[in-house]
Amino acid sequence: MTSTITSDLAVTAIAPDRSSQREQRGAVADAGDRDSKGLGRRSTFDFVIVGGGPNGLGIAAYLSKWGFSVCILEARPEIGGGAENAEPMPGFSIDPHATYLYGAAAPAFEQLELGHYGFKMAYTKNLSGGISPDGKAFATGFYNPESQVPQTYERELGGPMAEIFVQMQQNIRPRARDLLRAVYYTAPYDERWGVPREELPGVKVLKETSPIFDPAFTLDSSVADLADMIGLPDPFKAVMLFGAWYNGPHPFWKGMSIPGMACNLLYTYSSGSPVGGMHALAHSLARAALAHGTRIYVNAPVTEIIVRDGRATGVRVDDNSVLEEKTINARLAVISGLHVKQTFLDLVGPAHLAPDFLDRVRGISLKGGSLFVAHLITTELPQYKGAEEAFAGDRYPSCTVINASTEALMEEMRDVYSFNTHPTDPDHYIVPICQHDTYDATRSPTGYYTLSPIYMQVPVPEEHRDGPDAVNDAKEEIVDNIVTLLRRYAPNMTPDKIVASFVNTPRDSEYRNMAFVGGNWYGAREGAEEWESRRPLPELARYRTPIDGLYLCNHTSHPGGLCLIAVPYNLMHILIEDFEPVASTTPGWWYPSPWHITDAEGGSLR
Amino acid sequence: MTPPRAEELQSAISLTDTDRPLVDQSRDIEVDVVVVGAGPNGLITALYLAAAGLQVAVAEKRYEIGGGLATEEVLFPGYYANTHATYHYMVDFMPVLSDFELSRHGLRFYKPSLQAAGDIGGEKVRLYRALDDTRDFLARNSIAEADSFATMAMGFRRIVGEIIGPATYLPPLPPLDTVEKMGTTSTGQALLDVSEMSAVEVVSEAALSDPVTATLLYMSCQWGISPQESGMGFMVPLLIDRGLQKAFCYGGSHRMASAISRELLLRGGMVLDNSEVVSILVDGSESRASGVVMADGRTVHARHAVVSSLDPRTTFMNLLGEGNLDRNFAEAVGEWKYDKWSLFTAFFVLERSGTGDGHVRESASGAGAAGGRGGTHGGPGTEARAAGRMNRTAGTQVGQEEPFLEVIGFDSTDDVIAVLEAVEGGDLPKLAGHLTMESELDTVLAPRDGRVVGFFQMPAPYDFPWEEKAGEVTDQAVSLLSSHVPGFRERLVRIKLETPRDIERRLASMVRGSIKHGDYNPLQMGYMRPNIDCSDTRTPVAGLYLCGASVYPGGMIIGGPGYLAARAISSDLGVTFPFSVPGPMQRYVDTYLNGVVEW
Repeated sequence: MTSTITSDLAVTAIAPDRSSQREQRGAVADAGDRDSKGLGRRSTFDFVIVGGGPNGLGIAAYLSKWGFSVCILEARPEIGGGAENAEPMPGFSIDPHATYLYGAAAPAFEQLELGHYGFKMAYTKNLSGGISPDGKAFATGFYNPESQVPQTYERELGGPMAEIFVQMQQNIRPRARDLLRAVYYTAPYDERWGVPREELPGVKVLKETSPIFDPAFTLDSSVADLADMIGLPDPFKAVMLFGAWYNGPHPFWKGMSIPGMACNLLYTYSSGSPVGGMHALAHSLARAALAHGTRIYVNAPVTEIIVRDGRATGVRVDDNSVLEEKTINARLAVISGLHVKQTFLDLVGPAHLAPDFLDRVRGISLKGGSLFVAHLITTELPQYKGAEEAFAGDRYPSCTVINASTEALMEEMRDVYSFNTHPTDPDHYIVPICQHDTYDATRSPTGYYTLSPIYMQVPVPEEHRDGPDAVNDAKEEIVDNIVTLLRRYAPNMTPDKIVASFVNTPRDSEYRNMAFVGGNWYGAREGAEEWESRRPLPELARYRTPIDGLYLCNHTSHPGGLCLIAVPYNLMHILIEDFEPVASTTPGWWYPSPWHITDAEGGSLR
Repeated sequence: MTPPRAEELQSAISLTDTDRPLVDQSRDIEVDVVVVGAGPNGLITALYLAAAGLQVAVAEKRYEIGGGLATEEVLFPGYYANTHATYHYMVDFMPVLSDFELSRHGLRFYKPSLQAAGDIGGEKVRLYRALDDTRDFLARNSIAEADSFATMAMGFRRIVGEIIGPATYLPPLPPLDTVEKMGTTSTGQALLDVSEMSAVEVVSEAALSDPVTATLLYMSCQWGISPQESGMGFMVPLLIDRGLQKAFCYGGSHRMASAISRELLLRGGMVLDNSEVVSILVDGSESRASGVVMADGRTVHARHAVVSSLDPRTTFMNLLGEGNLDRNFAEAVGEWKYDKWSLFTAFFVLERSGTGDGHVRESASGAGAAGGRGGTHGGPGTEARAAGRMNRTAGTQVGQEEPFLEVIGFDSTDDVIAVLEAVEGGDLPKLAGHLTMESELDTVLAPRDGRVVGFFQMPAPYDFPWEEKAGEVTDQAVSLLSSHVPGFRERLVRIKLETPRDIERRLASMVRGSIKHGDYNPLQMGYMRPNIDCSDTRTPVAGLYLCGASVYPGGMIIGGPGYLAARAISSDLGVTFPFSVPGPMQRYVDTYLNGVVEW
């Protein structure tokens, strides 16, 4: 069994691209503080990243692959942030936050070679479906050939409408990646450049896909307006509106029709989840970062971003962290993966910032995005009444939106936003039941099913009319209501079929994951006032901050949450602009957004 | 109409390359070595081989790596616990920690001062990391007993320091050579003297008081040694000496797996999670293991070796197939016995008591009346968020320290024997075992609201009507804990039971809840673990190696099998193993191994 091998046998076709790393590491980093193994004890890095969620991991992977020394400091015991799975019951993997991949259009999959680091997709033919209170059901998915055929929709939509709907899908499909990259994977333009709204990349590409998307209409309308213009009936319309709301943009907020549509497209374009759940995405990002030399420390909460002479020079780490060095210095920059409010109000502090800026940060709205997340372990999949035909066989959707009516949606929104309470009437609930077992065998043991997540929007705890603990106190009641509603739509979901239930409320989520301020997964309202070049504030839209050497890379920046690996990609463009040594050595694997405008170019537009 | 079943839905699709929206890990790959299972041993093997210049991939069934190095949010939402390994016995010996300076990845251990306590029939026992402290405690009752304990403990320390510790990371000696070689030194002779004895006989030799004997006996047997079985006495010095030197991994045991995997990735290794291996490929012409096939059809081709961290039955019967085995060997594999018992654990979250200084165990408060048992939905408290981490400097005063492990529920040494033997026979006569308030030792597990996370654990049979008895067992656990932890009932936020079946469900490698992948009995130890053909990690199948807890020297996160497999593979492939052995290991080689075992 003995064979003698030579030392160069480790080179294979699957070896990742490390050539650039070897050339460039040390171009900026000081090689002198590395030990012979390349990873000495050290307290100074080129970049220090606060937070190991998908954005922090993503930018770390980019920067370390580029050759910089990078350190990530994560407060929790686990990296991943919202890209998380938990196994509260042995064998069952629940999704406490993010569910489904939305970021399939991310250049990171190629640029960071995430496949090499274990990333693997499970695609589903039937992504989602909906059932309305009057028993109308549909199931569809981007990759389902049936979804390309008008007859599939005729029963629910009527002949002409079905034709239009399919035509729309066929128009968008070949341009889907372009559209998504234009909307999400391009750093926002500075408002002061005065680029006309019609000239924004997303608007241009959308218009090219179909004349129906006239910028004069889409730019000022809501998702609901768009659905009405097309003439979509429930449950299609309800699911589309619902899809927008749960993915960020409020469906009735004016000026948000493009991101409202695009976020639905993010979901259908990706058409599935990483095998095993979203935490696998975090693993592949972390492994890419680690393989290129990033140091990741967990249980290491940052307590302060150190600012000297208006410049971020490093961070202070909590005394109880595992690090021997409690001060970590940043040679080039500190990058914050925390919420914009935490970044400036808690970590930088008022000593270094103008009072009007601080007030604007305080004023960023947290409305929207606070989720009540339920998880049910069952012995059967729901058998939806009235959907026997629509969901027959392999048409069973991986996610079913029950009570899918525009009316229920509006009532739930009114409860949450207008009355500042959680819905108590099950008729006001419109909830998605995610059934990942239908296409990913790793989620539950044979014979069992994990219905997770089941989301419901609730108010930000601090804004709840009955106090911040109101939703926590109503946990059992809300779960009961969800189960009651589920049973109304799927009568086989009797109590004996439900083995266990778990819940994380906004408060729980914030407790577990500190960047979810108010339990809000996208951090700041995705309304027209806090989107694109105004997200989270106009002066922060290009990820730079009033503090030199401090950048934002988190869900409160454009384009928000959803684990898109978009903020890191967009931020890279800005870092290239700001750090000449990087720009002059751009590695072969990097490609910028075709719509990117540098500050120098933008300035000349004014 | 019957409800749909996922396996019939076939909603999953495979896309052609042109349809696929992104590039992922969907194709076959080829590496030098593929390791099955990313538990501690799988990771250690992979790391050493990567350091030796080989291209290595580790395939793990679960969504998390680490195997028994699992720190998970079993008390969802918000509270973490070590679901398997909590006590790390061998951190003073494990070569991987020093060879790779894993502390650079934030891996840190600490050894609590009060290593073990016992409440045996109302009598308190305290056993400290520092032998002198234990001696002082025992001298309260009897100076003779204190000295007797110290003599025993010093003897055990010599045996472990000179022989068992280093031997853990060196190949096993054949039985006859063991007798001959050990007989040449006084420490070796001392080990031989206890080897043929049973655990009860060894702990009883020192003539200690019954509560101390009971505590030591439980420590010796809790992980699966039958108290009266002859031929297992050699484990007692290890389990008592190391049992009083055990360490907690800061941030939870999973940090150890993270640190190893980080170093592995840095050295070009691949970690594939959610990748269940369903078969080991054998190259027909050479009868050589040449790769593995995953549940989703992907193949990882291995140019040089396939290494399995799974037990021999799973490796040879399920993954390789009996057809590829010699009949005698298949028979030996078929005789593999899984652990004689598994574990039952009750994880819980408690409110910190109102007295302000945590729970004080010295006062035995009675059971509370109100049955405030938490459901599954109790979430983190909103009060006292800043109150966590309060205990790091506490516990320096004798009598106030937090025991790392407290033996509770037993009346006497005879009771320990009776309970363990009943468990071995498939019964659960009463709840008695050990208790650890984990978050008092490591506040990371209950981060910010000042609550306390702990667990009670005991040996338990796999074949037991767990589902039927869940309620009854929970009541017993609450009742037992109420008599040891003041105000337990009133302070209880949430309690979560995990049975042997849950262990198997979480970690499929622990067949029948076997935390060590197979029983510790004289026929499955040392040179015979898992059998005489495979105990040096090589197997009769060319290119196939074993590296898990089922191989010499065994389980318990000691990392021996992983280290030894890496050495054997490097040696067979003719690549340089890039680390020299530490001094104590070299002395063991010179004294006992040279001229007997080539390695």
